[in-house]
Amino acid sequence: MITTTNLSKAYNNIKVLNIENLDIPKGQSFGLVGNNGAGKTTFFSLLLDLIQPTSGHIKNKNILVNESEGWKPFTSSFIDESFLIGYLTAEEYFYFIGELRGQNKSDVDSLLAQFEDFFHDEILGKKKYLRDLSKGNQKKAGIVAALIGNPEVIILDEPFANLDPTTQIRLKQILKNLAQKQGVTVLVSSHDLMHVTDVCERIVVLEKGEIVKDIQTSEATLKELEAHFSGIEVV
Amino acid sequence: MIKKFIYLEWKQFVRASYFQKGIAIKILLILGAIYFGGIAILLGGSSFFILKKSFPDIDPIVSVNNFLVYWVLFELMIRFFMQQLPVLNIKPLMIIPIKRSTVIHYLLGKTTISFFNFISLFLFLPFSIVLLVKGYPVFNVIFWFLSLMCITFILNFLNFLINKSNTIFYILVPLFLALIGLEYYEIFKVSEPIGVVFNALYNNPIFILVPVLALIGIYKVNFKFIRKGFYLDDAVSKKVKEVNATDLSWMNRFGNIAPFLKNDVKMISRNARPKQVVMMSFFFLFYGLFFFTQSMYIEKMPYILAFAAMFITGGFLLSFGQLVPSWDSEYYKMLMSQNIPYRQYLESKWYLMVVAVAVSFIFSTPYIYFGWDIYLMIAAGALFNIGLNTFITLFGGALNRVPIELNTKAKAFSNTNGFNPTQLLIALPKMLLPILIFFIPYQLISFNAGLIALALTGALGIMFKNFFLNKIERIYQKGKYKTIAAFGEKK
Repeated sequence: MITTTNLSKAYNNIKVLNIENLDIPKGQSFGLVGNNGAGKTTFFSLLLDLIQPTSGHIKNKNILVNESEGWKPFTSSFIDESFLIGYLTAEEYFYFIGELRGQNKSDVDSLLAQFEDFFHDEILGKKKYLRDLSKGNQKKAGIVAALIGNPEVIILDEPFANLDPTTQIRLKQILKNLAQKQGVTVLVSSHDLMHVTDVCERIVVLEKGEIVKDIQTSEATLKELEAHFSGIEVV
Repeated sequence: MIKKFIYLEWKQFVRASYFQKGIAIKILLILGAIYFGGIAILLGGSSFFILKKSFPDIDPIVSVNNFLVYWVLFELMIRFFMQQLPVLNIKPLMIIPIKRSTVIHYLLGKTTISFFNFISLFLFLPFSIVLLVKGYPVFNVIFWFLSLMCITFILNFLNFLINKSNTIFYILVPLFLALIGLEYYEIFKVSEPIGVVFNALYNNPIFILVPVLALIGIYKVNFKFIRKGFYLDDAVSKKVKEVNATDLSWMNRFGNIAPFLKNDVKMISRNARPKQVVMMSFFFLFYGLFFFTQSMYIEKMPYILAFAAMFITGGFLLSFGQLVPSWDSEYYKMLMSQNIPYRQYLESKWYLMVVAVAVSFIFSTPYIYFGWDIYLMIAAGALFNIGLNTFITLFGGALNRVPIELNTKAKAFSNTNGFNPTQLLIALPKMLLPILIFFIPYQLISFNAGLIALALTGALGIMFKNFFLNKIERIYQKGKYKTIAAFGEKK
């Protein structure tokens, strides 16, 4: 589904990302972990054509993302709060995204109905603008908005941060379900090793912009990751 | 302690990103301030002689006193519109052992060096000096001047209290206009009773006690007001407003640009900054009054009228349009990664401007009063706006990479939010082109030929809409990464 070739990004000649080759097949739940500055968000931004690659390219379903806009209809994402329109209510925002993705009001409504317990009664019908919601609730709205319109690729940057424990658990179920049952390619990044190992079939560890580990998740993965990261911290 | 605050303030000023980036803008702003300051000084210095000449039998100081009420109302209005409440980032100060009263005194004190207070100073100081030179009683003049300064500061603090409510503004503006109207048609002259008050202030220096006490009073009220709000859930956290949802589904008839149009309408109606800009563009409607009331322009320089005609219907286009795409800067990343072709986005903005021009044109119907020639001119100007200025504006937007904070009012001379010199350059052809296009056929053939040329240019522009939009889209595409990066920067 997503093919990365010789991709690199440099700011002022300092390389922040350098990926020679990375293939993510369709329907895989893919996790990206790494310390601050490892290049997780940079990779996602390149994938969404928000920044320009210094060299190389990414293909999303065989479409070169930095040359065509053709990947937009089947790709959705939530990177940070700047993906929300602060002066809309959550409903208005969902309908807006729905309209952009060719979904009518009742399509969006039926999708939202599935997430009633995820919202925990704090998002819908609150008569509050998104900018007035708490960080966690903003995140919930953004994540759900990224699920509107049956996307084939979903990109979520740090989806677990700022969420309360109940919502974290529900989000994990939602994400697993998307990849396993609906064949959606899900890309998440996280600092929380436990969550990614729970959700993702495959985990890639980035360190200073390079891939240092590429693991198919198994029972031993969490231990392996913990060992890896504590080793770095000791230095 | 105060010294520390000033130190922090200085750091904030020098390290602000717009300061580091935009020295050119700073210089422009300083020039602007000098310009307005200079005008004020000049006006203050010369008004004595002007008044003496125009009303030889009335003492200039009496004339000034008579009309001071208008100045006071005008100043209050301008302040309400432009003066931003001072903000000291008090959140980190709340848990540090500093007396709250110190912080509040500092905050209030800071407002006294606002640009608006200096305008009064620049206006009345030269006038008072002229009075002294002319041999007016020293005591009276000095105390009169000091009273006026007190009134300026009263307005300063009053604005602090009323700034939160728009109702006051909506009362103030019609009141001001009504008073001018009544005065002009000599029905009721408010200047007379209030003039008596100001004259009394001049004649009896002891009356200075009144403004001084009022100033102290309003300072105390302000102090209490802030003191009361000095908690996290009051002053610091913004007020959470109930949503006013209006049904905009009728706009769905606009097809695939409908979601954007609906969104823009919400954006304008729910955020302070665009609301302010739209209000400002409403005032452009009256711009023609400056020109059409002067026979000089109509008889000798009708090409200047082309400029005025463009302005009347182009208010929204000029003030709102020039900040496309900055209006969407807060969520630009989302727009760029969502399922939106750039073209559609630009087209929706184009339609928004076209609708605005059409609405302004309808509002401009009363100009028929000045004759059909004038009205046709406005119509031609509107067509020019739709057909050409919209594209120039969108083109200019491609070069505009200054993010806007939607829910913060623009400050005069201290907020460079969404302002840059390229905007000025882009604005020039928008204003000069209609004059030129009208002027040449007007000189060579006739007034009507000028009108037709202006209208035709607009019509041609509309015919080539797709061509223009394609070109503009390409420019936007090219600058996409730069724009995203610039909008992502924290202010």
